[in-house]
Amino acid sequence: MRKTFSIITAFFCLFAKLGAEEARVSIARAALAKGESAQGVILNELMGRADESILPLLDAWRKDRLYLYEPTGAPAVPVLLEGAKDGKGAQVAVSVATGKAIGLRLVADDLNSVAHSANLRRIMKAVLDLTDLSSANRAKKLGALAAIGQGQQVEKLPALERRLPLETDPAVIKALREALALVRLKSPDVEIRLAALRELESLQSLASTDFIKSLQKDPATLKDVRLADAARTALLAVERHRTVVDFGGTLFRSLSLGSILIIVALGLAITFGLMGVINMAHGEMIAIGAYTTYVVQNVFANGLALSPFGVSINLPGLHTTGWWRESYFLFALPLSFLVAAGAGILLERGVIRFLYRRPLESLLATWGVSLLLQQLLRLTFGANNVQVGSPVYLSGNWIVGDVLLGWNRVFVIGFATLIVVGVWLVLTRTSVGLLIRSVTQNRSMAACMGVRTERVNMLTFALGSGLAGLAGAFLSQIGNVGPSLGQSYVVDSFMVVVVGGVGDLVGTVISGLGIGSFDQFTQQYSPMVAGALANVPFVGGALQNLAQDSAVFGKILVLCVIILFLQWRPSGLFAARTRSLD
Amino acid sequence: MSTTRIASLLSVGALALASLVSPARAEETVKVGVLHSLSGTMAISETSLRDVLLFTFDEINAKGGVLGKKITPVVVDGASNWPLFAEKAKQLLEQDKVAVTFGCWTSVSRKSVLPVYEKNNGLLFYPVQYEGEEESKNVAYTAEAVNQQATPAVDYLLAQGVKKFYLLGSDYVYPQTTNLVLLEYLLSKGVALENIGGGFRKDASGKIISAGKYTPFGHTDYQQIVAEIKQFSAGGGAAVVSTLNGDTNVPFFKEYAASGLTAESCPVVSFSISEDEFRGLPADKLVGQLGCWTYFQTIKSPANKKFVADFQAWLGKSTVPGIVKDGRVTCSPMVLSYDGVYLWKACVEKAGSFEVDKVRDAWKSGVSFDGPGGKVTTQPNMHLTKNVFIGETKADGQFKILKSFDNVYGEPWLKGKFK
Repeated sequence: MRKTFSIITAFFCLFAKLGAEEARVSIARAALAKGESAQGVILNELMGRADESILPLLDAWRKDRLYLYEPTGAPAVPVLLEGAKDGKGAQVAVSVATGKAIGLRLVADDLNSVAHSANLRRIMKAVLDLTDLSSANRAKKLGALAAIGQGQQVEKLPALERRLPLETDPAVIKALREALALVRLKSPDVEIRLAALRELESLQSLASTDFIKSLQKDPATLKDVRLADAARTALLAVERHRTVVDFGGTLFRSLSLGSILIIVALGLAITFGLMGVINMAHGEMIAIGAYTTYVVQNVFANGLALSPFGVSINLPGLHTTGWWRESYFLFALPLSFLVAAGAGILLERGVIRFLYRRPLESLLATWGVSLLLQQLLRLTFGANNVQVGSPVYLSGNWIVGDVLLGWNRVFVIGFATLIVVGVWLVLTRTSVGLLIRSVTQNRSMAACMGVRTERVNMLTFALGSGLAGLAGAFLSQIGNVGPSLGQSYVVDSFMVVVVGGVGDLVGTVISGLGIGSFDQFTQQYSPMVAGALANVPFVGGALQNLAQDSAVFGKILVLCVIILFLQWRPSGLFAARTRSLD
Repeated sequence: MSTTRIASLLSVGALALASLVSPARAEETVKVGVLHSLSGTMAISETSLRDVLLFTFDEINAKGGVLGKKITPVVVDGASNWPLFAEKAKQLLEQDKVAVTFGCWTSVSRKSVLPVYEKNNGLLFYPVQYEGEEESKNVAYTAEAVNQQATPAVDYLLAQGVKKFYLLGSDYVYPQTTNLVLLEYLLSKGVALENIGGGFRKDASGKIISAGKYTPFGHTDYQQIVAEIKQFSAGGGAAVVSTLNGDTNVPFFKEYAASGLTAESCPVVSFSISEDEFRGLPADKLVGQLGCWTYFQTIKSPANKKFVADFQAWLGKSTVPGIVKDGRVTCSPMVLSYDGVYLWKACVEKAGSFEVDKVRDAWKSGVSFDGPGGKVTTQPNMHLTKNVFIGETKADGQFKILKSFDNVYGEPWLKGKFK
């Protein structure tokens, strides 16, 4: 480690000596320069310099914290504001050029910050990239490598070559080799270009497609057979790899969409599937769960003021910070279950228990309830969507062999597995589960055996509603939270339950996964299939245009297939034969 | 709450009675229609326009009105229902006989009321960015034409070194038409067809009739599209041009952020997200992404400071039932509504009459107004010359202005213009 450090220091010192002026002086000059291009030229000169002042100064510039002090009748001075604010909000002004206080206290709001465009930021980033190359932060290092490679910045080649023997992390080594190869594609030497192409071929670098294609168009390549061949084989290898990545990605996305469908439909599989209640208010139970998450999030932060029906309710905030604040979601999960379950009990006691033998009326009544609940949410939380933030542990991703696995999606898949297993255990391994099963299979017989069917009904309905609430907590992480959130999922839920077979949880799981996969695979592969059929007369062109709308086309196809499927098996995948359903 | 509502109902009733009893009073006022959706899906956006219009009328009335007459607004609700828009327009023109109407947001609502205005020779002021390819003598388009939003944004991206463009939008007339124009524009700028992402639809002869990727309203699953963008931008130098509307932006940007794409690796320029939309969007997920409008709330001019402060003050003491008072912002469609009222006032005063034909002639002769977004000038083609700004989203849902284009002429007919 120490050796690494000394080599880098030596390398940067070498560059620093070449520099004519101190980096902070250059940055001050750049801040004052007229025009973006002049500023860019000065900043470019900083490339490769190892001055310690570069990072904080450019960082301040990028974040609008580099100010211009413009005294009347004197040239402007670029300054940083440091130290604590006094009563007027003023801070100590430090000159950028000298690094020393200029003996004034200034207020940030009174000053103009030095402007920067995306172009300038890109140059600043390139300057910082070289510093980032030796950064301990892996993400920074990878970002810097990608930027150098994509920019094909030949001048950075020596810096990259020096890094290669020093790295140990396989992902960084791969990125480094990729960056090296991409930069070397620019080399005038044919042998080096050939080697670079072979390297890209063995790395199966997805990022290289555009660069290899532009190399293929280069007249020099067209003349050289070996280069043209190498480019073609490299491109083939990359495309082969892309097919694998696409397939892996589609599989993962299928699982994640399937999991969402399962989570959303599981509650309904119990209220509709097991109990036979056509519960149109299922969507609103989902919305209640999502809003519970929103409330919990705000209670963990600064509190929430609500005014339903003109009554003002002030929920005090806990003002938590750091990990406590991030952990709000873990508390929101059980709470959203409980709140939705509570709402479920109210709904069952208030409406549904009177309608067990009248399915049509229960449909209409629950639909009415659903409208009421939507309006209630609107009156309480407003008609606009509300913001639910993603905690840190749900907003990153893993990249496994170029397939991107978002943490929120992995979490959804994991949790879907967990609750499916949980519900299965409750239904098959607990006494409550036994009661639920007995009542759903034959209510009057269960009642004769002394089961309090009324109570079991209530509990079952609460369980189903609670699961819908859990689904809401999840959906808050991937989509909108608004009063009509439930509407967009209620149709999907019924679809999953009906295809799965009313009365069977296994059916719901399989149909959820099946519908999810079908949708994602159609989205991914329908353009390809349509492309292959392009030359078929009449249908070919139309198919291609349809497949272009693959996001919608997938959904349409799913519905068509479901209609056909239900013609073949009207009672779904797993038809449960119970008296209560006959 | 309830007492104020009753009071306001009573006062409305009293006003109605008063106007019935004393027709002489009515002559000192001029009726003006406000036709926006105050319920349904579009209510979130359009209610803000009603608010700013009522504010503008009050501001003008306080200074003596138009040609000495006070403006009396007739507010009707289009309810996000396009045929209803036409009915309400008919009511405004034939029953209420309004001198002018300010209204509509979606292009489909505008198309739906257009025949009514043409038949009755009415005048509609339309304030929201639209796809062009239209020029009716009965509509004053204060809205941004495609060359006042989409093409300047693309110019900016090209200057920043972007070489690949992915077109993504909601599936309706504005994104479809805008993207077709953009396709022609990009090709004319030397961007290769293979560097324009999102796919194409072709007719039987192989001509491209639609460019880009489209999703329906309310679409929630952007996994596959984001994965496609990730691959599209793998080699760097790529940007997304988004005409996604409304709350579909939430799942899109959440997915975008989760996939590790950032404003630095692949910026998104959105044409349908203004400050007002940020009230319902996760602004922290959009930091650094771009927007292009003819006004931003962060414009540092005295006119804008006064406008923002006056609007906030008006909201504070407003008695309009159900009006939202907290966390309100100003945005381009609101300012174009505001500018529209003042331009109409200027045209009326120039013509010396409320008659539509005379007002239109005044408009065509070129009238200017110094609005919050700078000077706007009317054009003979019923559009406006105005300044265009490119901005970058900040975490507080405001924009930092990166670049401005001054006095851009509004040109509705762009299809087939870039060869």
